[in-house]
Amino acid sequence: MREVLKLAGVLFIITALAAVILGFTNIATAGKIEEQQELENLLARQEALSIAKDFEKVDSKELNETLKTTEFGIITEVYSGNKDNEVVGYTIKSTPSGYGGDIGVITGISLEGKVTGIKIVSHQETPGLGANATDPEFQDRYKDKTIEQPLDVVKTAPQNDNEIEAITGATITSDAVTVGVNTSIELYNKLFK
Amino acid sequence: MNFGKHLKNGIITENPVFRMLLGMCPTLAVTTAAINGVGMGLATTVVLIGSNVVISLVKDLIPSKIRIPAFIVVIASFVTMVGMLMKAYVPELDKSLGLFIPLIVVNCIILARAESFASKNNVIDSLADGLGMGLGFTLALTILGAIRELFGAGSIFGVSLMGSSFQPALIMILPPGAFLTLGLLLALMNKMSQRA
Repeated sequence: MREVLKLAGVLFIITALAAVILGFTNIATAGKIEEQQELENLLARQEALSIAKDFEKVDSKELNETLKTTEFGIITEVYSGNKDNEVVGYTIKSTPSGYGGDIGVITGISLEGKVTGIKIVSHQETPGLGANATDPEFQDRYKDKTIEQPLDVVKTAPQNDNEIEAITGATITSDAVTVGVNTSIELYNKLFK
Repeated sequence: MNFGKHLKNGIITENPVFRMLLGMCPTLAVTTAAINGVGMGLATTVVLIGSNVVISLVKDLIPSKIRIPAFIVVIASFVTMVGMLMKAYVPELDKSLGLFIPLIVVNCIILARAESFASKNNVIDSLADGLGMGLGFTLALTILGAIRELFGAGSIFGVSLMGSSFQPALIMILPPGAFLTLGLLLALMNKMSQRA
């Protein structure tokens, strides 16, 4: 019994020390980590809606209620993009389900009624295939797309204005990203038009 | 002189990847590009040195029966610290390496060196061993990463080397390519050490 107490005691001391040291390290780095995160989010919004100078989070009751419905369940946050104190568009973040997990997609929509661009901020897709979704070459396919009708994924060169060409060998990823964009468009049409 | 001997041991004679075949999981998984190999190798080296030194310092204070949980706590603490520092100061690299940073805790190289070396040797030798093994690991991962990146994406460290007409062999940056490259490298190492 005494030996068990001694062993437990030593383990307690070791883990307590570890906890203290980690606590200090956390305090030292938490600020910087949050900074990096915010910077990354800001850059992503900037890329999706380049006409805006600064962004403000939309936190209205109407939005929060809408986000609780299953139709808009994959939308996580909305920012309004402003220039010279006027709203010029919105960036809407969604997390559609891709091949390897959720894909974080930020969709920029201008008040003129066009998709200004998208930015993939997180994903777990296959390197060399679905992961190519983060290439500008793929993300650019969504630029200047209309918001009048839902976007469609096709495997050959697009014939219509609302068609997006899929990534070769990564149809599921392409479909998922498009679901995210389409849901964002629907939300925009419903609340911000 | 002992210091140098331990260093050479870790880097060449008992290279953890090529000779002892330890830490295979991160070796195969993160070497899709040379920079990932370097990043993972260096992060593991920091943890190795830290854990070897601390364990060597407290080896007489830890009762033998609980040495494994004690080692794990030390290793996990260092990995957590390295993880936080990477997230704060090199977030891009942290993103590329992703889940494999926390997985350094269960990298068997670290526990192996703690159990077979650090808990039985003095601090300076343990430091040398940690540094040597870590550098050996980094070297192995960088070589593997460079080869896979060159044939799988046409570049090394992001510098395009193969010209625009080069068709990358996608398999090289997927798991089968990892096994193929590692197997061939091991065969090469065995052949080279046979001649010596």
